[in-house]
Amino acid sequence: MDEYDEMYGIEDDFESQFADELEVLAEIDTDSRPLPKKSERRTRVPTSFEEALASGDSVLRTQPASLPVSAFTVLSFLHFPAPKAKRQRQDVVKKLKFDSADDGKEITPPSSPEEYPSEIRSQNSHGDSRTPAVTPGALDISGLEVLQASPQRAVRAAQHILHRPPPVGDFISVTGSSGDRVYLAKREDEDASDGLAFRRSQYSLGLLSVPIEVLKEQVAERRHQQLVEESQRLTKMLNSQVDQEFGEMDSEEPAEGKGAQDEGGKDAASRLWVDKYSPAHYTELLSDDFTNRCLLKWLKLWDMVVFGREKSTQKPRPTHTDSRTQDQQTSRFKTKTQMTEEILEAELDQYHRPKYKVALLSGPPGLGKTTLAHVIARHAGYNVVEMNASDDRSAELFQKRIDTATQMKSVLGANERPNCLVIDEIDGAPSAAINVLLAIMNRKETRDTEPVAGGGISSALKKKKKESILMRPIICICNDLYVPALRQLRQQAFLLSFPLTQPSRLVQRLVEISRCQGMRVDTGALMALCEKTENDIRSCINTLQFLHGRGQRQLDQRTVQSVQVGLKDQNKGLFSIWQEIFQLPRTKRKRVGDDLFAVVPDGGLGSAGAQRLQHILHLATSCGEHEKLTNGLYDNFLSMKLKDSSLQAVCMALDWLAFSDLLGEAVMHNQNFSLLRYLPFLPGAFHLLFAATSVPRINYPNSHYEAVTRMQQTRNALVAMLAEVPPSIRSRVGPRSLSLEVLSLLLEVVCPKLRPVNPQLYSTREKQQLVELIDTMMCYNLTYRQDRTPEGQYRYLLEPNVEDAVRFPGVPPRRQLTYQAKQMIARELELEKMRRAEAVLLARNPLPTKADPKSREKRLPMENHRQRLETILKQNVVESKVGAAGWRVTPSAAEGEKTMTAEQLMGKAVGNSDVWFRFNEGVSNAVRRNVYIKDLL
Amino acid sequence: MSLWVDKYRPTSLGKLDYHKEQANQLKNLVQCGDFPHLLVYGPSGAGKKTRIMCLLRELYGPGVEKLRIEHQSITAPSKKKIEINTIASNYHLEVNPSDAGTGDRVVVQELIKTVAQSQQIQSSTQREFKVVLLTEVDQLTKDAQHALRRTMEKYMATCRLILCCNSTSKVIAPIRSRCLAVRVPLPSVEEVRTVLTNVCRKEGLSLPGELAKQIADKSGRNLRKALLMCEACRVQQYPFSADQDISETDWEVYLRETANAIVSQQSPQRLLEVRGRLYELLTHCIPAEIIIKGLVSELLSNCDGHLKAEVAQMAAHYEHRLQLGSKAIYHLEAFVAKFMAVYKKFMEDGLDGMMF
Repeated sequence: MDEYDEMYGIEDDFESQFADELEVLAEIDTDSRPLPKKSERRTRVPTSFEEALASGDSVLRTQPASLPVSAFTVLSFLHFPAPKAKRQRQDVVKKLKFDSADDGKEITPPSSPEEYPSEIRSQNSHGDSRTPAVTPGALDISGLEVLQASPQRAVRAAQHILHRPPPVGDFISVTGSSGDRVYLAKREDEDASDGLAFRRSQYSLGLLSVPIEVLKEQVAERRHQQLVEESQRLTKMLNSQVDQEFGEMDSEEPAEGKGAQDEGGKDAASRLWVDKYSPAHYTELLSDDFTNRCLLKWLKLWDMVVFGREKSTQKPRPTHTDSRTQDQQTSRFKTKTQMTEEILEAELDQYHRPKYKVALLSGPPGLGKTTLAHVIARHAGYNVVEMNASDDRSAELFQKRIDTATQMKSVLGANERPNCLVIDEIDGAPSAAINVLLAIMNRKETRDTEPVAGGGISSALKKKKKESILMRPIICICNDLYVPALRQLRQQAFLLSFPLTQPSRLVQRLVEISRCQGMRVDTGALMALCEKTENDIRSCINTLQFLHGRGQRQLDQRTVQSVQVGLKDQNKGLFSIWQEIFQLPRTKRKRVGDDLFAVVPDGGLGSAGAQRLQHILHLATSCGEHEKLTNGLYDNFLSMKLKDSSLQAVCMALDWLAFSDLLGEAVMHNQNFSLLRYLPFLPGAFHLLFAATSVPRINYPNSHYEAVTRMQQTRNALVAMLAEVPPSIRSRVGPRSLSLEVLSLLLEVVCPKLRPVNPQLYSTREKQQLVELIDTMMCYNLTYRQDRTPEGQYRYLLEPNVEDAVRFPGVPPRRQLTYQAKQMIARELELEKMRRAEAVLLARNPLPTKADPKSREKRLPMENHRQRLETILKQNVVESKVGAAGWRVTPSAAEGEKTMTAEQLMGKAVGNSDVWFRFNEGVSNAVRRNVYIKDLL
Repeated sequence: MSLWVDKYRPTSLGKLDYHKEQANQLKNLVQCGDFPHLLVYGPSGAGKKTRIMCLLRELYGPGVEKLRIEHQSITAPSKKKIEINTIASNYHLEVNPSDAGTGDRVVVQELIKTVAQSQQIQSSTQREFKVVLLTEVDQLTKDAQHALRRTMEKYMATCRLILCCNSTSKVIAPIRSRCLAVRVPLPSVEEVRTVLTNVCRKEGLSLPGELAKQIADKSGRNLRKALLMCEACRVQQYPFSADQDISETDWEVYLRETANAIVSQQSPQRLLEVRGRLYELLTHCIPAEIIIKGLVSELLSNCDGHLKAEVAQMAAHYEHRLQLGSKAIYHLEAFVAKFMAVYKKFMEDGLDGMMF
């Protein structure tokens, strides 16, 4: 009552005063209508309101309704049911408009165009609730609608556009983007429905999953219902007050009835139908028969261990041959069914346990996996112990619980059955816990070896292990079989994947349930429900109960489609999403869509399109990986078979991409995450633009990633190059100007034409050029580095490798230096670097090494091997005597004086031995390298 | 120092080859003592940096040419360390804050603060202020630019800023109004020619006049590019011949080929090829706005009169969005697709017009 007061304040009196009359009127109405069910009293009333409203509207128009209260009083005196009057209250705008339309004096006409849409909308809702069918004659384009229309439409409706203000009547001035101003004469729309019709034709591709008219209708209905309930409550209260006043005649009976009703209601509300109608017996299972049978068979394999020898010790009899092993089918290629059968026929191990100790059921949610496990375990005579994600599943607790479940037995209570452990939702368990399970499964092996090595010290520990062999069946249940944590378990478990439930069976069950609950359903609606939930039993039943709980006693397809419950928020793989985006759906899906939008007769393309759009939006929203999704779309859409000669669709798609990029930027930069909700529309747009019937070939998008990596490589090369550049050059060249202007030409500059001869033989001009080249390369931190190709050839590469940073494929290749030239340059660079380093060192501490420079200067020229040889030659001139035994070298000198340094050794060797080689005699100098005498000796 | 660009760079205001009047004005500016903040802007290769260095030399003497590279690490308030290289002499500090990416605000504030808070030791013989030279100011984020506003005023006593950028359009108005703007335009073709000839003479080479003009044309009056081209020509072939081919930068050739590919065929397949080429350009660190600019100038030469306006408008539209967004390839490709659509329609209409 308090709530009611707050909400409705002033009308309260009225309600209480006329509640009796309302009641009577409502009853009259109900009598006049043939209604099938006694429980339908609530919904009956609103429909009658609609009729009354339709008839009473003309009266309403004449009423000066500036104050709602006065309107209601008048109405109520006109003997219209009050709830209907309250229904009017929500359309205050409309009433105001009626006034302005009729006399136009009491209320100033709306001056801004913004008011008009709302007005039209309110009229729409009004018109729609009354007359769902649209009269074709009403399709008149009035000046008002031009406001809503696209520019083309404005042109078509040119007779309403004036270039100067109209002399009479209201007008709206509109300034175009080009700056010219036009005036639109305002005219009241004659028919409320033409706005609606226009809207339908314009926005046939609705973004709402349910047309706005339907939504409004629902809202209106709900309000009706609330009002009815309120009025009923009021009546009841009034009655009770009356009762109190006039003695306590029948006070007890209604109270009792009400109590009973409440109890019943509470009971119904507190119990989920899923539980209430869950199958109790094997025969009631909805899931696939084969699956059921397989699991049952597997469970029966345990009978030997569990039931066969309950009183004996844990040790099994080794001499037991089971007749289970039947001759197998010897076909070469086994179907999956046969494979499964085979597993079930397989021999038991030495403890008479089946080969697979654990059954692993997998499948999407809501197919009845848990139910199946429970029912079958019970059926096979076990006591079910369940563990699921709601339990703590750390490794220790897991171990403890498994041990207790598999080794203990309930002693209290009547059912002294062995336990069967059902581990539900195992894919969410940590891998440590799953490893524990695996360890328990494999304990047999450890035990096998132990009796042999059974020593005295660790016997206690081993005894403990001995006891804990797994002797009870474990059934694990998961949704995703391919969770990394399950990898080990997957190999050692009896895998049983759940197929989808048969829709026919599911529908049959749903019919039964709804019949039990007194809900009127038709098979088509239930089929639609099944399809929507993808044959998820739980979701279907929950949806039914939800609808039932909201007071709907009747189910039709539209309700099913419009309700947002039951939609699964499950992830699909990216590839399947891309596929769905680029592929038109099969006709099956379309059927449902048509049913949904059957209320919109002139939907045209809209009906199927809107359904598809909704579907894609849902997919994209639930996917969540927009970045990847977008990349995939971008990489693949041009490879689709486009029938788009004018490239319009491609342009549109790219505009969408650009838009989503801006959106993403806004989201990330301004952290305005509310904009994220617009991202899924990109896949929707792509679907509408590019979906084709053929199966698309989707490639995984890696272009973006590749581009980023390569850009990073280039940038790193540039930065590495710049890092060592001297500051005077560094200040002039940034990475940007380097890549844009300098580098390409610089690489040209460092590739001069060099004569393929020894640099010693260069002319002064050439030497000068070489020096400059070396200098330039040093300045820009470039060197050549020897590299070995996979084919085993050597080549010199620039270091850092900026060659790749500026060269493009397809552009005619630049002149390259020869290998020899590069080798020579590399060598000269090294020398120059050493020289400079030395110079720097000298400059830094010239005093202590005062004596050094001279010796160094002496030594420096000696670095050249030719000069060294010459000095050696000068020191000991020995003629070479290469005789027949020229390669036989006297080893005495080298072996005798191992401790000597190489230099000494060499000098000695040259002096002592009578072997002497002279280079450069009649030999081409193309290949030259240092050969030490000591290597030859 | 052996690239001609580096070797023959003028080091004092008096030696500058062109815009001599401006050089004189700068000299006067230094001499009158009241040195303001400067905003030097102009296209790449016009000699902004050269002019700034000459100016600094005029201010402080040859000491500014003793440069050293300093690696500074600055800790942002978010405890993020930003490494940045600065080039400094005893009198000035040069930073490219855009190297720091999004952390440029902190860099700007910290560096200027440290420079400005240390007084010059011998203020009697030297200027009482140091100079902070910020390059690529147009790449600064808006945050950093706003941070600069106050800093500029606060440390006016000890520190002057010289901002260097290509275009002032991305520099916020408050900063522009705090600076004396100095525009360094590109040299004219004739000036480029003179510079090239002078350099060649110093090298002891004789450069034919026609070749010099060709180089100047081809380089787009970008002096740095012109000198590099000239040197590349020298490496390629000497003695010069007037009709020798001048090597261009690879990306320009590639971009031109891309534009030709767009014009020659308009289809989704071709668009896919173009996408590959655009990616190629982007991965070679060619900025997206330069790509779109190059494309437009190439494409426009293939367009008819009134199509030109449309294409230019389109390009402006997509470039604007490019600036707003972050994934350049989408916008570039959107522009290409749009051009293809428009161009195709135009060609088909033209064909129809011819047939009937």
